[in-house]
Amino acid sequence: MSDHLPQRSQLSRRSLLRAGGLGVLGLGLAGCGFSQPATASPAQTDKPIDVKVDGPLVYFNWADYIDPSVFAGFQKEYGVKIVQSNFDSMPGMVAKLDAGNKYDVIFPSAKYAQRLAQAGRLRAIDHTKLRNAELVFGSYPYFEDPWYDPKSAHTVPFTMYKTGIGWRRDKLGALTGSWQDLWDAQSSGTTFLLDDEDEVLGMAALKLGLDPNTSAQGDLDRITSLLHTLRPNLRGFSSDDYNNLLDGTATMTQAWSGDMVCVLNQAKDATLYGFEVAKEGSPINSDCFAIPADAEHPGTAMLFIDYLLRPENAIKTIQYLGYPMPVHGTESTYAGLVKQLPQCMIEPGDLKPSLYFRNPTAAGAQARDTAWTDVKAG
Amino acid sequence: MALRTPVRAETPAGGRTARRDRRPRPSAAGARIWTWLTLPGTVWMSVFFIASLLLVAAISFGTTDELGDPRFGTNLGNLKALADPAYRDVMVRSLGYALLTSVICLLIAYPVAYAVALHAGRFKNALIAAIVVPFFANYLVRMYGWSVLLADDGPVLRVLRAVGLAGAHTKILNTGFGVIAGLVYGFVVFMIIPLYAAMERMDTSLIEAGRDLYGGPLRTFLFVTVPATRQGAGAGVVLVFLPAMGDFVSAQFMGGPNQIMIGNLIQDKFFEGQNWPLGSALTMALMAVLLIAMFGYLRRARKDEAEATR
Repeated sequence: MSDHLPQRSQLSRRSLLRAGGLGVLGLGLAGCGFSQPATASPAQTDKPIDVKVDGPLVYFNWADYIDPSVFAGFQKEYGVKIVQSNFDSMPGMVAKLDAGNKYDVIFPSAKYAQRLAQAGRLRAIDHTKLRNAELVFGSYPYFEDPWYDPKSAHTVPFTMYKTGIGWRRDKLGALTGSWQDLWDAQSSGTTFLLDDEDEVLGMAALKLGLDPNTSAQGDLDRITSLLHTLRPNLRGFSSDDYNNLLDGTATMTQAWSGDMVCVLNQAKDATLYGFEVAKEGSPINSDCFAIPADAEHPGTAMLFIDYLLRPENAIKTIQYLGYPMPVHGTESTYAGLVKQLPQCMIEPGDLKPSLYFRNPTAAGAQARDTAWTDVKAG
Repeated sequence: MALRTPVRAETPAGGRTARRDRRPRPSAAGARIWTWLTLPGTVWMSVFFIASLLLVAAISFGTTDELGDPRFGTNLGNLKALADPAYRDVMVRSLGYALLTSVICLLIAYPVAYAVALHAGRFKNALIAAIVVPFFANYLVRMYGWSVLLADDGPVLRVLRAVGLAGAHTKILNTGFGVIAGLVYGFVVFMIIPLYAAMERMDTSLIEAGRDLYGGPLRTFLFVTVPATRQGAGAGVVLVFLPAMGDFVSAQFMGGPNQIMIGNLIQDKFFEGQNWPLGSALTMALMAVLLIAMFGYLRRARKDEAEATR
């Protein structure tokens, strides 16, 4: 064995190349993992879930989404532990799932719920097994058959939000209720757009009367040239909408309705702030609960979803998070939270499929991404 | 004259090679041990660096499927997409920012390293610790902190306005100044440490010799200290330039729409854009630019070394 070792004190180029070969092996292995994400057969994903404690709950969500007292209450009532982990973006969530991590309950946005459901990555959820499902589907019939998951067969809606304009009333006065307000010369130099491809392209599309999900080249060209007229007014692209408003960096920003509740909660003087949705249409979105196909404790996950839908727990979540949930009996709580900014309210009639961000085709996604780079990089 | 003779005597022509030859030749068994000891490092680098690099190179020829997941392929579209002038402009801007950052870091680090290495006495280690310890905190968190401090209604501008040093419309956030300040703040320590090491190693009698030859403090610094420590400066420039060029954090927190750097675009491709192949192609382009810069540096460094050993 030792005879074959190079008789040199330094690594030769050849041994480096050999080491490179090892690398190629690693590449091959990694390649397998990513070109064939685990998909479960329909028989597996459709298997009914036995609603009972079947182990600790492995919870996977954005950070700080649920009041810690709700977790504590669930752990106490069911005598089961919650193992928490967080993602920082939807693609990050999918990447973790693809890598084979097992979670019991996840919280995808509508767009990602559709992707995961279509790819056979979500367990079917039988709503009749959830005691509180009627509070959702009875009062918000839209969710009985949403575009992203026919018959809500794999999901239960969690929170809802819309995108509008947040602004400083003391600096800009009243606005006109149109996306045109973003072009207001008064706020030039302190105007922000969200650092979000869909939201920015969607805003311009709605202003032009186009489909917010368009990926037609002609539409995208009109969108980018419109946005280029806004760029000189912009101070930045930032999704930290509420901090930008609170620390005075922004006098006007594209903003998510739920984030405005943070502004109201943290501002010294909440009357300084306004929030409006645009008459041309404001994008609407919702997140949902889902159970991955390879979840090890789907029974506990069902109990957890049901627990969060109890109005008293939903109210705590809404107060903690600032986003409304489509749960009957919580509406007045949310109305109270946003009394100052009533446009944050989401009525069942607001949930229009045409105002949701959807999944483009692969080619469409690339065309949109090119347009976004054009807008962002100038 | 009196000084020069002993210096010459210490380095006769060929003196170095003569000394090298005196070093005992390693035995075959000893050599084998060293080879084995490099194994963990080689495996580690192969798996986590070379393999991921090859993976990035492979994906840059790939496509995305309907789920947004990357697929391997033989598609040249991503490399062609790099011809978009937007990428070229952003790349040039990033180069400019990184160069400017390196120069500013040099200007800040030279006096700091000089003072600490040559005049700090027993406080030397405490000062080095004071410089390094803040950098143990995560860069992202520190930059986020700065963005709060430097906000329009934040504490820094409020104080500056109160004492009349800033007008009502003075801004720090979302400006080119902010981004470069962030980069300098983030990476200056990588310049101070190699310069400090070079000055520590420097023979201080060279400075005395400079003074003896009627060089003023500034002339001695420029013509004796700086040349004697230029290898440390070179290493520092590389250590600052490379991460500054690929940085996205500073532009994210301190920049506006006209300060976007190549790192921000790459990050976009891997996250919201769901276009890993294009992100990979951009990464390869960035690496090519950096390799060219590194190559220039290495050639220069080798020439320096050749001169030093002559």
